Amino acid sequence: MKLYHSHSTKETEQIAADFAENLRAGDVIAYTGDLGAGKTAFTRGLAKGLGITEEVSSPTFALVHEYRGNGLVLYHFDMYRISGFDDLYSTGFFDYLDEPDAILAIEWSENIDGVLPPETITVSISSTGENDRKIQIFDRGESA
Amino acid sequence: MKILAMDTTAKAASVSLLTEEKVLAEYSVNVGLTHSQTIMPMCESLLQQAGCPVSEIDYFAVSNGPGSFTGLRIGIAAVKGLAYASSKPCVAVSTLDALSYNVPDFNGIICCVMDARCQQVYNALYLQENGGRRKKGPDRAISFTDLLEELKKEEKAIILVGDGALLCYNEYKAVLPNLVLSGPASRYQRASSVGLAALEKIASGEIISAGALVPEYLRLPQAQRELIKKRRLNP
Repeated sequence: MKLYHSHSTKETEQIAADFAENLRAGDVIAYTGDLGAGKTAFTRGLAKGLGITEEVSSPTFALVHEYRGNGLVLYHFDMYRISGFDDLYSTGFFDYLDEPDAILAIEWSENIDGVLPPETITVSISSTGENDRKIQIFDRGESA
Repeated sequence: MKILAMDTTAKAASVSLLTEEKVLAEYSVNVGLTHSQTIMPMCESLLQQAGCPVSEIDYFAVSNGPGSFTGLRIGIAAVKGLAYASSKPCVAVSTLDALSYNVPDFNGIICCVMDARCQQVYNALYLQENGGRRKKGPDRAISFTDLLEELKKEEKAIILVGDGALLCYNEYKAVLPNLVLSGPASRYQRASSVGLAALEKIASGEIISAGALVPEYLRLPQAQRELIKKRRLNP
């Protein structure tokens, strides 16, 4: 596990961009953390690190947003409203999981914990002050 | 009579042109889920190579489930569009029924299995002997363990077909001596089998309009409680 302390949104984005350099096709990133902890900001940094120039926004409404980078596709999910297996199935989640060039970043991953792949990377973000965040990044398959 | 058949229900994408007498052409790709990009160029190329314009197709057949959410919708949308534009009827074939046509020469129980995740498979069983075939029960979602208990009662040889075949074979082979794994050429979804299944349905009048063609999703009864369970089962 790697531990970071961020003092601003900008810093969170930079931590994420650096982390993105170690990502490879097929990686699944599961976020845990409260509302407003900075999961979308982290994903914005992640996208930047993957060479994506599009604007990243919260996928709460659409459930999943798709961003195309250099040979990789970032799928940004929000599982907040997913309350059952049929819900999840009908987001196409399992199909994205099978895509060869995909990286999945999942907000509210707690709701689908039982079906995340064993190699999932957990990113835990928690608030330690108004702008201060504790960010823990666990290795592939390392339990949080 | 010419049939254009399609299957995009899982990782394999396949399209085939056939008549009552023979399979005229078949094109299958099994490299991952990019069917939305590949299936129409595959159709176009196949028809061109076979020298058959779309206007000569009499029926459009498709596997309409069970299968992947996105995959089912891609195949059904493609066939719907083709059939609607050419004012021709459709034939909806169960993905599992189609898979059972992959092994026409086998005598015994055909066990079609598709990986449904969470230790479950989509499954149907068929008894095939002396050139005849009978479906033993409806399409269903069933857990690895429940299916194993059922298969233990079978004395005949059992062949596993489908994208869940290898998974089940590895789970079951130690306890089921009569179990056989289909070869790699006959294991996965293929459109010629969809077409063969469709021929039988056409003969019995089971044809529908493009508008009536819909996906048949199978619910996973056990999956609900697995979802929020602490990591990490077989995803």
